Amino acid sequence: MSPAATERDLLAAEYVAGLLDQAEMTAVEARLAGEPALAAAVAEWCDRLVALDDTALPARPGLQVWHNIEAALDRPVTRPAARPSLKARLAGLWADLAFWRVSGLAGAAAALALAVVLALTLARDARAPTLIAVLVSETGRAGAVVQVYGDGSAALLALEHVAVPEGRALQVWTKWSDARGPVSIGLLGRAASAPLATADLPAARRDQLFEITLEPAAGSPTGRPTGPILYKGLAADPL
Amino acid sequence: MPGMASTLRPAATGTATGPDLTALLRGCAAGDRAALRALYDSEAPRLLGVAWRILRRRDIAEEALQDTFVQIWTRAATFDPALGSARAWMFAVLRHRALHILRHSAREVISDDETLFERADDAPDPEAIVSRLAEGARLRRCLEGLAPDRRQAIVLAYAGGLTHGEIAGRMGRPLGTVKAWLRRSLLALKGCMQ
Repeated sequence: MSPAATERDLLAAEYVAGLLDQAEMTAVEARLAGEPALAAAVAEWCDRLVALDDTALPARPGLQVWHNIEAALDRPVTRPAARPSLKARLAGLWADLAFWRVSGLAGAAAALALAVVLALTLARDARAPTLIAVLVSETGRAGAVVQVYGDGSAALLALEHVAVPEGRALQVWTKWSDARGPVSIGLLGRAASAPLATADLPAARRDQLFEITLEPAAGSPTGRPTGPILYKGLAADPL
Repeated sequence: MPGMASTLRPAATGTATGPDLTALLRGCAAGDRAALRALYDSEAPRLLGVAWRILRRRDIAEEALQDTFVQIWTRAATFDPALGSARAWMFAVLRHRALHILRHSAREVISDDETLFERADDAPDPEAIVSRLAEGARLRRCLEGLAPDRRQAIVLAYAGGLTHGEIAGRMGRPLGTVKAWLRRSLLALKGCMQ
């Protein structure tokens, strides 16, 4: 195995073993759809370790769990067929971007379904976002789009290539209150479309700040942005 | 796919016992709600057990289980039986969800006075977990071939959701050291299982 292949295999092992923190996990998931070799390594590690899951003691879920699942399936937002018709040209553009992205994912999924599902579970292709933030550079170039969905999930769509120096990474932040300050929602080795780690944050609101900064490869050591802001933008409602 | 789990867990193939999970996933992809219910009846208790072990709280584990079945329903069409068992696919969806819940809650205050996880000493016992692996299973033999502290660290990460940092903290070792020897141990485990 080449050093690069060994490094990739070890990252897959750490990911499947559950050793990675939030930003590291999100970074791996962002790469799965575009890197079949990494996805294959993840699938192999899943197979190696899955017997450990059979050692957990089974527990009967409460009745409410199934009721909640059915209720979630009955809500139009989670039904794959229920893509809402989008009125505004703006919203239409984002839907097209999402469709383009999912087409790419579908090809990878056909090759490596087990691993790619990890990325797909966060790729909300079939739904329209409830909020959108267009992140622009200092000179006004659109570099990325953040889409926020009704269930609190969010995804980043990269629009242009960024030269990321060796040992650095792109970190995505959001800030919903000045008191709390910016919170990291993603770490990317390169400009790429990726799910964002927003699931358990307060629901995003109009005018909430999203930004991408250049940080050390492992993410900002302080938990706050330390590097230059590459792109930023405020969330807005699609018409 | 190398190292298929079928030698370790015969039920995972869906042929020996229980319903044909692959057929049920196909049913989900076709919109058959009864197929989802059959998957739930067959796998929910084990999936909840895994989520509970990672998340330590039953109510949060049930939320992860709930999210997992919604994902199984919406993503069933992406499952390809040629590339892995239906059961492994379902467990991968669950582990993904549980670990993301865990990582978020490790940073976030859930309410004014409560953090979700006080993860001091309530981690599962790794040696007990290893002893529950099938006698003679390759994974068990290979884990038992590792030094005890490394075996325990890998099992704590997988079964208990502990990160590099949390393991380093428990062991009172520098993070870089712990990362390096876990990487060597994972490579050794892979070599042993080939």
